[in-house]
Amino acid sequence: MSSLIGDGARLVDAPTGQVLEGDELVAEVLRAGERLAALPPGVLFARIGADLDGVLTYLGAFEAGRAVALLDPGLDADLLTGFVRRFRPAAVLGAPGAPAPDGYTARDGHWLRTTSDGIEPHPDLAVLLATSGSTGDPRLVRLSRRAVLSNAGAIADALGIHRGDLAPTSLPLHYSFGLSVLNSHLVRGAGVLVEPSGLLERGFWDAVSRHGATSLAGVPYHYEMLHRLRFDPRRYPSLRTLTQAGGKLRTELVAEFHDTMNAVGGRMFVMYGQTEAAPRMATLPAERLPEKLGSAGTALPGGALSVRRDDGAETTHPKIVGEIVYRGPNVMMGYAETAAQLAHGDEMGGVLGTGDLGYLDEEGFLFVTGRLKRIGKVFGNRVNLDDLEHAARATAEGIEVVAAVPAGDKVVLFAEGAGAEKCKAVSRALADRLHLHSSGFDVRPIDTVPLLASGKIDYRVLERGL
Amino acid sequence: MADIAGRLREVFVTTLELDEGTDVENLAYREIEAWDSVGHMTLVAAIEDEFDVQLDTDQVIDLSSFRVAVDLLRSLLSEDVPVHD
Repeated sequence: MSSLIGDGARLVDAPTGQVLEGDELVAEVLRAGERLAALPPGVLFARIGADLDGVLTYLGAFEAGRAVALLDPGLDADLLTGFVRRFRPAAVLGAPGAPAPDGYTARDGHWLRTTSDGIEPHPDLAVLLATSGSTGDPRLVRLSRRAVLSNAGAIADALGIHRGDLAPTSLPLHYSFGLSVLNSHLVRGAGVLVEPSGLLERGFWDAVSRHGATSLAGVPYHYEMLHRLRFDPRRYPSLRTLTQAGGKLRTELVAEFHDTMNAVGGRMFVMYGQTEAAPRMATLPAERLPEKLGSAGTALPGGALSVRRDDGAETTHPKIVGEIVYRGPNVMMGYAETAAQLAHGDEMGGVLGTGDLGYLDEEGFLFVTGRLKRIGKVFGNRVNLDDLEHAARATAEGIEVVAAVPAGDKVVLFAEGAGAEKCKAVSRALADRLHLHSSGFDVRPIDTVPLLASGKIDYRVLERGL
Repeated sequence: MADIAGRLREVFVTTLELDEGTDVENLAYREIEAWDSVGHMTLVAAIEDEFDVQLDTDQVIDLSSFRVAVDLLRSLLSEDVPVHD
């Protein structure tokens, strides 16, 4: 059974300066795995942050062949309890202070299942991640050991990760992109700099400088911040690789960061993925970026992209828009919405209909143009626009007709017949509900929402008017 | 000079949507949900508008509490104190 920890892999704990590498790292991971063996059998839930303990817990579980769901430590206690009730995990590691749910007991900071009703997970199952940010009921994406390992290796190939590299944990580990940064570096024998603070904190940049971090991973919102901060790579001589995924970054910024990095001999990679693909599906080689501006790149090594037309036929013919379909060893086994599904084997056969719309060019470079379903992003969080409209109508503000359209990193909601005060109240209510800043929900008054002949909302007119 | 701390307080209250009773003077980055990275960038933009200044990278990153912000703005708006980048 191959390992996620390649020869030479190291973890650098920024807060303490401690370095774990070689046999010592392997031994620590083994110890972490042994501690988990004492827990009740079944799937583990781990609320992990970007700290050494969290990383070792994940690696310990993975290397010991123990299926583990990585959950946002900021998850509401209510949501977490709902998850626990739904999936009956063996334990919740790093449980919140709230009382343990029925059938669980709190011990050493964890919730341990006291009943024997847990499901034995499928032997291939390695990692579970929640699908992000929608207002609907979250589901777990089931990733096999093979999917995680093959994706880590393919990413390392595509980005040319090698032993001297050191990547900081700029993204949470419960987020598939953040986890893939960790996996792709360790598998190739490179290093990961474990740093709990973020891009807007002095500690982060001090750690980058002190330990000589070589790359930085971010979602579009991070690049907007770096742009705003007038990020200058000359101040960080070791930092020569930028990677961007998690949504479409506006092409002016893609070009700007490419130029900035290129000027110091560095590289900017634009990538495309989904948690459902563990997560990477495509990367745009840095040297091709200027001529392929706006593209998400070509399929990862070992994967293939095609487009499914409206009539259901698949094609790789250039410039035909349809649903993007990906094939590869990294495609998930399927979703889990119930505990019973944790025992299911592969239901996908290595084929993923992404729900994204796009086309390929003559050389197989992917251009993503939108979503089949109406999905918006608020500061990097996927939000189902139909659900959001429903939530806006459900506020106590008495709004009956509302239309939500995506607008970059926020959502604009047009509320029929609402005044400025009412709009503000709706924006705040949505912000409260989704735990995002209210500036992400731009609620505007409108006399009448435009309709199509069918009586449905004409979103195109609204989007054009933004 | 106008009351910098008072104007700054107003900017914090408005952008971070703080409740009446919030202890703004002792507020620090990431201590409350509203002052996360998104709140921070909104705050920086609002401070720049209110005081007609442009903050550089280090100033944005070091602006980790209300007090730091007051000190920063005082030094930026004072003609006597040279401002380093």
